[in-house]
Amino acid sequence: MAKGIFDFEELLSRVENDRELMRDLLLIFKEEFPLHRQALREAVERKEAVRIGSEAHKLKGMLSNLAAHEGAEAAARLELLVRKGETTEFGGPFAEFDRIAKELAREVDSCLAGVSR
Amino acid sequence: MRILVADDEVMSRRLLQKTMERAGYDVTAAENGRQAADELCKPEGPKLALLDWIMPELDGPGVCREVRKRKEQSYVYMVLLTSKESKEDVVAGLGAGADDYLTKPFDPEELKARLRTGIRILELEDRLIEAREEMRFQATHDALTSLWNRGVIMEMLERELARSSREGKSTAILLADLDHFKQVNDTYGHLAGDEVLKETARRLLSSVRSYDFVGRYGGEEFLMILSNCDPAFSLTRAEEIRKAIARLPVQATAGPIPITMSMGLLISQEWGHRPMEELLHETDSALYAAKGAGRNCVRVAIADSLVADRNSLEAEAIRHRR
Repeated sequence: MAKGIFDFEELLSRVENDRELMRDLLLIFKEEFPLHRQALREAVERKEAVRIGSEAHKLKGMLSNLAAHEGAEAAARLELLVRKGETTEFGGPFAEFDRIAKELAREVDSCLAGVSR
Repeated sequence: MRILVADDEVMSRRLLQKTMERAGYDVTAAENGRQAADELCKPEGPKLALLDWIMPELDGPGVCREVRKRKEQSYVYMVLLTSKESKEDVVAGLGAGADDYLTKPFDPEELKARLRTGIRILELEDRLIEAREEMRFQATHDALTSLWNRGVIMEMLERELARSSREGKSTAILLADLDHFKQVNDTYGHLAGDEVLKETARRLLSSVRSYDFVGRYGGEEFLMILSNCDPAFSLTRAEEIRKAIARLPVQATAGPIPITMSMGLLISQEWGHRPMEELLHETDSALYAAKGAGRNCVRVAIADSLVADRNSLEAEAIRHRR
């Protein structure tokens, strides 16, 4: 599979070529990711810095585990803004994160179909 | 080997759990720091732990601090997993009591290698504990018979006498000596003598209750402490022990060797508050009397006050008879 928004080869190596585990992780991701993404969106809309920091941190961890580096970096940027106390400008970085998240959701679906076959 | 994996994030937890199971570990998973600390602090809890830094209720460094504080008996090797990677974070994590630090996302091979380091340290700890216990045993037990040695049995006697006095109960002190042991050594040799001593120790131990104490007092002398022993039955108990020793000859390599023991018995309640050394001296005199009475018997140390009571009772009886 080509290297897209997440690195399939890296993920496969992280699970030590265990495709069943990979499938498990993708299914967990499919269930958990939208919840945290939504929580982050709400926190950004309400400008709740602490919650933005904690949700961004969780999303960064999930995306790193999935070898989705672009998404992990976008989440890390949001976390860093909170850590630096720059709480006024979350809109732009969140929009960027959300764009990647949409693309990622599609790729995960397609990857899941491939792994399940 | 058991390992605790603590991470509030489901994907990370699943990935860690599966990676560890595949490496042959028996995994216990925790969803937060509180669960992790409680699990690790159990007496038989895991001795290896992978802890996420940021967790609800108690963070990874908090778990390390709590485990180091609460669990003193055995070591837990803890590795913090985190995406925090500044020098200050590393220092804080190790300062909290973590043994190692690994950044997420982890590489499975690196993680396993780090855990092998932990296992080496835990194995070293096990060997040290084993050596310490062996030294402790050697320092407190007689090398030949494995009974308590003289120093320890004396300490126990001191403690038991204080306790029985405090609780208004009685302790029986029994000093026993193998009869004609010199002849055993002279006739059968010292190796046979050692066999006799070992077998005597075994018979004494199997003749007393689990909460009594038996120690080697000297060459062929043994000191027994019968805790909470009813004064009315102390002599019967001593007689039972004496008979258990004499019942069968010792089957030594050199052949069967008949053995008997002479015993001096003292019942603490009859002597009031006396120093331990004085009580032991009186018990020894009773043992000497048993030897004088032809051996293979028990003699009781009678307190002066009891002798006086007995004398006055006898005088009273004589007056009545007149």
